[in-house]
Amino acid sequence: MSLLCEITYRCNLQCPYCYNPLSLRDYRDELSTEQWCVVLAQAAELGVVQTHFSGGEPTLRRDLPAMVAFASGAGLYTNLITQGTFLEDALLDELLAAGLDHVQISIQAPEAALADRIAGTTAHARKLEALERALRRDVAVTLNCVLHRLNHDAIGDAIALAERLGVRRLELANVQFYGWAYRNRLALMPTREQVERGEAVVTAARERLRGAMEIAYVPPDYFDDFPKPCMNGWGRQFMTVTPNGMALPCPAAAAIRTLHFENVRDRALRAIWQDSEAFCRYRGTAWMPEPCRSCDRREIDWGGCRCQAFLLTGDAGATDPVCSLSADHRLVVALREGNGQREPVARRA
Amino acid sequence: MNDAARPRFGKGVKLRHDADGTAMLLVPEGALALNAPAAVALELVDGERSVDEIVAAVISRFDVTLERAHADVHELFERLEVRGFLLLRQGSG
Repeated sequence: MSLLCEITYRCNLQCPYCYNPLSLRDYRDELSTEQWCVVLAQAAELGVVQTHFSGGEPTLRRDLPAMVAFASGAGLYTNLITQGTFLEDALLDELLAAGLDHVQISIQAPEAALADRIAGTTAHARKLEALERALRRDVAVTLNCVLHRLNHDAIGDAIALAERLGVRRLELANVQFYGWAYRNRLALMPTREQVERGEAVVTAARERLRGAMEIAYVPPDYFDDFPKPCMNGWGRQFMTVTPNGMALPCPAAAAIRTLHFENVRDRALRAIWQDSEAFCRYRGTAWMPEPCRSCDRREIDWGGCRCQAFLLTGDAGATDPVCSLSADHRLVVALREGNGQREPVARRA
Repeated sequence: MNDAARPRFGKGVKLRHDADGTAMLLVPEGALALNAPAAVALELVDGERSVDEIVAAVISRFDVTLERAHADVHELFERLEVRGFLLLRQGSG
């Protein structure tokens, strides 16, 4: 079981594919260091083995090393998910001394002009410096690049960059349409040709780099016949805590306005996990409508993504419209085929 | 695989034992469940012991033939090496 700690939603980049909520007003009242440590202790006791520190940009919290040290001391595997612009040597020293096990650093594209255009600011050069710094250290590193229409054709270059820098693990993840990414879905949706070309490049690179680099590839679910097994099932293995302390079964779940999510300030993590209304509502298979209920895949994809079902149909209990068996599948087809805008139109402030 | 090689873990790889006796290998952004012989073999990975010594230890703990233990340990180690979780050559990683 793993816990995603979104310690702040603040960020100095403005990526149009960010899954963070569009309105950050509710999230300004961030949990304190002590409150996060309570959450981490409760998580370890609940059976969480891995914890991911993310955001926003988690390194904007000066107490990040203290939280990593606490998590590490509680026996948790610690992972930092960062865009790297603040990952200076001094911070790396502190994080490694705190016991950080793994760092994931993202780039927006392999080449600076496009990467900075996507990020909405000049950041790429600093990110590459941070990546090289981390690669020299005694910490595992994953290089991540979120794929969408603006950079999908650069997959080969991203792999070449990773190879040149000696990256052991590369994650190429197609954008998931939540938060800002959902808002910008028309501009970000790749074309089918891009997806097919990209997947061929990944397949060939995996073969060529076997044993030297692992490439984790997250396919674009809008182009599949069946939905992704989102979170490996609602409330089964994964929990997110937002900057203000809300406990969510999925990082994007706050968008589901028909559910009430409890706060770790009010109740212990175990109680929220075991019997809060939000975690219980879509756990297992009993909640499923047809065609999921009688489907052979119900314990493979768990009905797909609840957040996606809500965003597209207004009903979080519907079959994920990505599924070709969903009555709402035409919504996904229309989005997939209707991509036409040239540039993302909306960015976070 | 060279039986004299002295395996060690790659960066970000940790063996974890739980109170209920189960073991898992924690790796970057994932976890691998381990059966009992695999857990015993990986417990002995320290950069000092050789693959041969680890196979011998597995035989001493479980009712298996040398052939079987040798094949299982090699298969496990090769699978982990491909993903960078285990380093079998000097200086790599």
